[in-house]
Amino acid sequence: MKVVVCVKQIPDPADPGALDPESKTLVRDAKLILDESDSYGVEMALQLVDAAGEGEVHLVSMAPNNETAGLRTALAMGAASATLISDEALKGSDALGTAKVLAAAIARQEPDLVLAATESSDGYTGTVPEQVAALMDLPSVTFAKSVAVDGGAAKVQRQTEAGYDEVECPLPALVSVTAGVVEPRYPSFKGIMAAKSKPVDELDLGGLGIDAGSVGWAGAGQEIVSIADAPAREAGEVIEDEGDAYERIVSFLDDLKVL
Amino acid sequence: MKFSFTDEQNMFRETVRELFADRCPPDAVRQSWDNDDGRVPGLWAALAEMGVLAVLAPEAAGGLGMNEVDLVRILEEAGYAGVPEPLVEHVAVAVPALAEAGHAALEAAIAGDSTITLNLSGEVIVGAAADAVVHRHGDTLQLVTEWQADEAASIDQSRRLGVLTDITAADPLDGADPDLAFDRAALGTAAQCIGVARRLLEATVEYVAERHQFGKPVGSYQAVKHHLANVKIALDFAAPLVYRAAWSVAHDDDPAARGRDVSMAKAQASEAVDLAARQALQCHGAIGYTFEYDLQLWLKRAWTLAAAHGDVRFHRDRVAAAIGI
Repeated sequence: MKVVVCVKQIPDPADPGALDPESKTLVRDAKLILDESDSYGVEMALQLVDAAGEGEVHLVSMAPNNETAGLRTALAMGAASATLISDEALKGSDALGTAKVLAAAIARQEPDLVLAATESSDGYTGTVPEQVAALMDLPSVTFAKSVAVDGGAAKVQRQTEAGYDEVECPLPALVSVTAGVVEPRYPSFKGIMAAKSKPVDELDLGGLGIDAGSVGWAGAGQEIVSIADAPAREAGEVIEDEGDAYERIVSFLDDLKVL
Repeated sequence: MKFSFTDEQNMFRETVRELFADRCPPDAVRQSWDNDDGRVPGLWAALAEMGVLAVLAPEAAGGLGMNEVDLVRILEEAGYAGVPEPLVEHVAVAVPALAEAGHAALEAAIAGDSTITLNLSGEVIVGAAADAVVHRHGDTLQLVTEWQADEAASIDQSRRLGVLTDITAADPLDGADPDLAFDRAALGTAAQCIGVARRLLEATVEYVAERHQFGKPVGSYQAVKHHLANVKIALDFAAPLVYRAAWSVAHDDDPAARGRDVSMAKAQASEAVDLAARQALQCHGAIGYTFEYDLQLWLKRAWTLAAAHGDVRFHRDRVAAAIGI
């Protein structure tokens, strides 16, 4: 069984992020790391391949400057190989542009299953997995809290507001997994050493057969017109308890849908 | 010549840091004090699974065949996290000594099925938890497997001490060099000192940025800045000496040069961590003394590690002797 996992390499969230005032996009000049939300997909894929008793996990990532640091982390966890797409013309890509590139790279692998996070920790559009599935004409299941492969089908428990749905779909398919679907393993030292020699296929747009005009700034169907600082945190609401405070608290929690 | 750590070595460090942050936060350290064995449940097995226990064991014996340069910043991270496990004793000293002696206990040691501590100069660390002790006997090393020990007072609850009173079963560790074992112990302790000092400095910078007096953060006052800048300078001078000493232990076959480099490192690292502890306490004020506040975890570790395996005076004398003054 071949499982492809979409992984994003992002600026370290521990470092203060910055937006480029010209392009109004996130500055990505420093070392990038594996998006933590993708580590769940990598772990899920490794467990599915282990359970199948055969197969391998392949990573697909789009990143500037041929950055591989985050990919090496996922390779150290146990993925077998990776495809990295890096091209100057990809600067400014919107979610659909990114999906086009990922879909083309994934198709080359002819996977049985594609896993992705529900959304990245830096962009948060939450739309790329479904766009990839649509472009590849694959069935798509979102918000998986559990994934199993049985014969030619994926059995998924899909997280909902009220609980979860049990969904089954034929393979190949694309499944987006939630954080917490599994506990990602720590890379072992042996894994870290082995990751150095695992193959990373570095491609540009020409190598993928994608027209540069359909991605990046040129192909983006969106424009960031302005950026502003997030509003400062406001003071909380103070409720004087006149015997009915518990009702206000219940109502507050109810509005948040945590009850 | 490249003086920086490799990408792989950086990744070893980051991975271990993540493990300690998840599995050994201050709450886990405090809970270990109440355990019979003084350990963090599951942490030793996780370290074995990651490969940390096998760093200095040869590949032919199932280890990773790495050296002290690979290990030094892992031990630094153990200091940073305040890990209450005998990592230096087991990983940096006992494992290579067992490998050099070709002792069968190596397999269990790198698999995490045993914990081995040290008695190179009179004290047994984490005596309650250890399965065996690498013990200096004259000019040789032994692996003590049965012994009697009296509990000894320790200011640091994370370092339970015992004093050996009787040895009833021991294997010789022929081929293992007791002087090299001491240098490895001093190097590993120096690395932990660097980690502890970094944590103390970070915690204090964070505190003085939050704590306000006279309408301003106390960290904005020059006297406070000076204290913390002095700690930073001491750290930045000590850390490269520790890394250099790691290289010497790994690659320098001359015991005198190795001992000199290790002693320079331990003397500077002990001074740095002692200064970090004093200034951290000074800048925190009274809250730094309180049991409930986490600063005490690293303060006590600083005081014990600064003196362990040779204090500043001991190592300065050793450097002086090595360079003939």
